[in-house]
Amino acid sequence: MARRYDSRTTIFSPEGRLYQIEYAMEAISHAGTVLGVLAKDGVVLAAEKKVTGKLLDLAGAKEGGYGGSGEKIFLLNSNVIGGVAGLTADANSLINYARTAAQKHLLTYNDDIPVEVLAQRLCDMKQGYTQFGGLRPFGVSLLYAGYDPHYQFQLYHSDPSGNYSGWKATCIGANNGTAQSLLKQEYKDDIEIKDAISLVLRVMSKTMDSTTLGSEKLEFAVLTLDPETKAPKAKIYRPAEIDALLQSEGLKKDEDAEMKPAQ
Amino acid sequence: MSIMENNGGSVIAMVGKECVAIACDLRLGNQALGVSSDFQKIFPVTDRIFLGLPGLGTDVTTLKELFRFRVNMYTIKEEREIEPETFAHLVSSTLYEHRFGPYFIEPVMAGLSKTPSGGFKPFIAATDLIGCLNFAKDFVVAGTASSKLFGVAEGLWEPDLEPEDLFETISQTIMNAVDRDAYSGWGCIVHVITKDQIVTRTLKARMD
Amino acid sequence: MNTFADRFSTSTAAGELRRAKALLEDDAEFSEASWGSEAGFGTLAKGVPTFSVPAVPSPSAFLRLHTDDHADPNCRIKIQHGTTTLAFRFKGGVIVAVDSRATAGSYIASGTVKKVIEINPYLLGTMAGGAADCQYWETYLGIHCRLHELRNRERISVSAASKYLSNLVYGYKGMGLSMGTMICGWDKTGPAIFYVDSDGTRLKGDLFSVGSGSTFAYGVLDQGYHWDLSDEEAQELGRRSIYAAGHRDAFSGNSCNLYHVKEDGWRFIGNYDISKLHYEGPGDVPGSAGKGYGYDIRVQSRNAVDVTAEA
Repeated sequence: MARRYDSRTTIFSPEGRLYQIEYAMEAISHAGTVLGVLAKDGVVLAAEKKVTGKLLDLAGAKEGGYGGSGEKIFLLNSNVIGGVAGLTADANSLINYARTAAQKHLLTYNDDIPVEVLAQRLCDMKQGYTQFGGLRPFGVSLLYAGYDPHYQFQLYHSDPSGNYSGWKATCIGANNGTAQSLLKQEYKDDIEIKDAISLVLRVMSKTMDSTTLGSEKLEFAVLTLDPETKAPKAKIYRPAEIDALLQSEGLKKDEDAEMKPAQ
Repeated sequence: MSIMENNGGSVIAMVGKECVAIACDLRLGNQALGVSSDFQKIFPVTDRIFLGLPGLGTDVTTLKELFRFRVNMYTIKEEREIEPETFAHLVSSTLYEHRFGPYFIEPVMAGLSKTPSGGFKPFIAATDLIGCLNFAKDFVVAGTASSKLFGVAEGLWEPDLEPEDLFETISQTIMNAVDRDAYSGWGCIVHVITKDQIVTRTLKARMD
Repeated sequence: MNTFADRFSTSTAAGELRRAKALLEDDAEFSEASWGSEAGFGTLAKGVPTFSVPAVPSPSAFLRLHTDDHADPNCRIKIQHGTTTLAFRFKGGVIVAVDSRATAGSYIASGTVKKVIEINPYLLGTMAGGAADCQYWETYLGIHCRLHELRNRERISVSAASKYLSNLVYGYKGMGLSMGTMICGWDKTGPAIFYVDSDGTRLKGDLFSVGSGSTFAYGVLDQGYHWDLSDEEAQELGRRSIYAAGHRDAFSGNSCNLYHVKEDGWRFIGNYDISKLHYEGPGDVPGSAGKGYGYDIRVQSRNAVDVTAEA
């Protein structure tokens, strides 16, 4: 029945649904989890990598200037970090669009783009793909972790329909329901950044599919404010830094750890 | 009157021993009327690259912001800082995009580029207003006082000047050259770039 | 329209030409020129300047073609425009202040030009426009002022001297002379200033400023002027006005030459570097703040306060 109304984005079904968008969201529910938590002095993003393996060449990522360019977490502008869940190719296209939009805003207004404005730009584009052109929607959900002087630290989530909302803590991708309920229980309004980091890592360790928790599977980023310059500082963690962080939180799980007999 | 001479201003860059220096005057005028004595024409692109933009004032501001856009995109995508030679080509292509309606600017660049062995090599370049690159080994000049800058620089420059000597040389060059040009002057600023630091000095220049 | 003037005038170009031609034709006989005050050797053809005019339909257009740098910045004859000169009358005489910059296009050709021409020990003329035109004709004016003294046994009045000059340049009107000068002196009527230019304008006045920087000088001059200034205050006003013009106008600057004309003649007060006036001021002079004239110098204490507040 639905089949007659789901091959084009530009038509409604009789029940008033846009099936293509729902199918897009279905695609995202199979993608790697991305988790974001807003603290009063920063925002934390963590993501589970799905594309892993010994043959993957990660040499660039180790030395990389910003430790980014993994598959999930990207620097969008000096004041916004983006986390993506869904079709990687679609995500790359949206990331590129976001970066250009942020620079265009800087060129016009000589000011860093406010986080919500960036989210709106992307959502306006995504909505266009649901209404005209006859093109399929982007199969990507994004989390935007950012800072601007007007509303300080913010966390937004946008989905393929072009809808977005602001969150104190949220999750997209696989197992997002579990993660969301965990966050609901444990999140406190005045949480500080180091507690937010712990919270994120604990929730990730509980919701991630794999038994190991290390830098091969995890991407991590934090956005804070530099105490002297008062400018936003985006830090996308390098693999070595992620491992060190996990170690200090006592969450590092190796493959070997499973094999060791309990002492 | 030529559009390039409407606002006035000049820039020079020189090569020293493992350092570069770039200097500009501070005048912005409306033909004969001097309007601002604080109009800087040199902008940092990265920690190691400086860009000087002499010519029409509005294009100075526009181009500086346009290059910021393009260098930011480069940095975010490539996840590394742009090198001076690459930046020079970026400048050249940006200007050629407006081949038939050009920006009235003749950019001058100075920087330190990384060598394969991990050291730094001094780099200077200049282009004309439609992007023809000139990679000089000694000095590059641009602006309303360019002919006078050429003259003094040719006389004073010698190779392998230490940073302090390079500062003296470039300062004398720019101060005396702009004193012979009605549309440049009203103060000068000099940046000396070495691998460890950038020293910026404002010169006490003739204010007439 | 000018035939009457042409036929009988003694000081126009056409008159000179006519006389020269006449004298060349009948060398041995006496011509009209030998009667009256024209008699004597002073006006012999060979001593009189004659100007050959190009054999083209319109000599003035021809000259404009080669001197007008508004139309063609690469013209062959560069008339040095761009200057600031001023003169004002007050109870202590006349203050004459000028800058010393000469520009050819945007090139600063010289910073040491003397723009005050000392016509004679009690008459000064300023230079604006074409340097050669001013220098030549004002020196020529000096010759005639001396002749006037000899013939009339009394000093020429400023009015008469300026009229002589203005009538002279009127004869060349339209031919491309460029002059904007102020003839300043002290005569029987007291201190006097006449503005004379190459269009033929001649104006008596108390206060004038001429040149590309005149608007800037007027700003300071108009604000500080009154008849009862003391000598030092008047000199300071002249200096400060030239500084203002030298600072703002791209075509004026380098240094200021200051003169003071009194009953017994003019006195050269001094040459002041305009950039030095900016940073250090004129020194210990009544009417000045004692520090540099420049804006950043005058604002130093404000900036110093900002720095300590942040620390």
